[in-house]
Amino acid sequence: MPVIAIASPKGGAGKSTTAVILATELAHAGAEVTLLDCDPNRSISLWASRSPLPARVTVRSDIGESEIVRVIKRCDADGAVVIIDLEGIASRLVSRAISQADLVITPMRATTLDATIGARALALIAEEEEALGRRIRHAAVFTMTRAIRSKQHSGIEASLRGQGVDLIEPSLMERAAFSALFEFGGDLRSIPAQGRMDGALENAAAFAQAVYTRLLEPVE
Amino acid sequence: MSKKPPFSIDLGNLKSRPKDGSAAAVAKADLAGEEHGFVDREPRRRPGRRPSPRTGQVHAKVLPHVSEAIASEAKRRGVQQGVLIEEAWALYCARHGLAGDE
Repeated sequence: MPVIAIASPKGGAGKSTTAVILATELAHAGAEVTLLDCDPNRSISLWASRSPLPARVTVRSDIGESEIVRVIKRCDADGAVVIIDLEGIASRLVSRAISQADLVITPMRATTLDATIGARALALIAEEEEALGRRIRHAAVFTMTRAIRSKQHSGIEASLRGQGVDLIEPSLMERAAFSALFEFGGDLRSIPAQGRMDGALENAAAFAQAVYTRLLEPVE
Repeated sequence: MSKKPPFSIDLGNLKSRPKDGSAAAVAKADLAGEEHGFVDREPRRRPGRRPSPRTGQVHAKVLPHVSEAIASEAKRRGVQQGVLIEEAWALYCARHGLAGDE
């Protein structure tokens, strides 16, 4: 099954939120999903501890750089989609996880700082593609976006598209329901209603579907 | 709220592409990462042996031939290596007039 690495050396870009939304939505759509918590902040483990895990989702925690490749290989063979929530620093663990990924997603807020630091992950992927002699599919997603788009957001988006970066649409909007996942655990269907739940559900599902579509596309 | 998935996944279409997980491939990935500042950031363990969780004692390191000799003598006498160290410490204290042998 495919391995998806959620990678950005920038902290606070929305990696763990992206990982949980993607995992729970793919599981809701019928896939078995294994979430690997490789972040020392243990956000995924915190989420997992809040309530029983949604159906078809399993979590593995405390994975270091010495075992990451082995763990990914084992989970990959288990017939589950593997989603790796990586730490928000530039580490060897991140580069090793990317080397085993079918798709790398770089979440970034629509700020110059996030985009600049997130671009380091994209540069690393390009370097690893050359070193390993295989194409590593990658895409970026804007997180915590607002309904009214700022000029900075539009400028960064245009710049990334100009550089040929695949931007996942829709972006993940700033929603109370997304942050509440870490307060209550579970998925968007099990948590108490937070703000416009139908909007959050639609946003999450459309994002997961956009990722799923990318997993089906052949890599040239 | 609808519980029906807004899209469904055809598991048959989801496939992992073959990826090289050999030591050589990992080394290549490490090298590529280092060029971009993605380096080893695992927390370093303090060198030396940890205190025993049971007694809090710190076990001194000795040269290998001394370690082997102590282990061999303890085995011959059928005692723990600590017994020999306690005896050695008593001798040391006696020689230097220390009160540590009580």
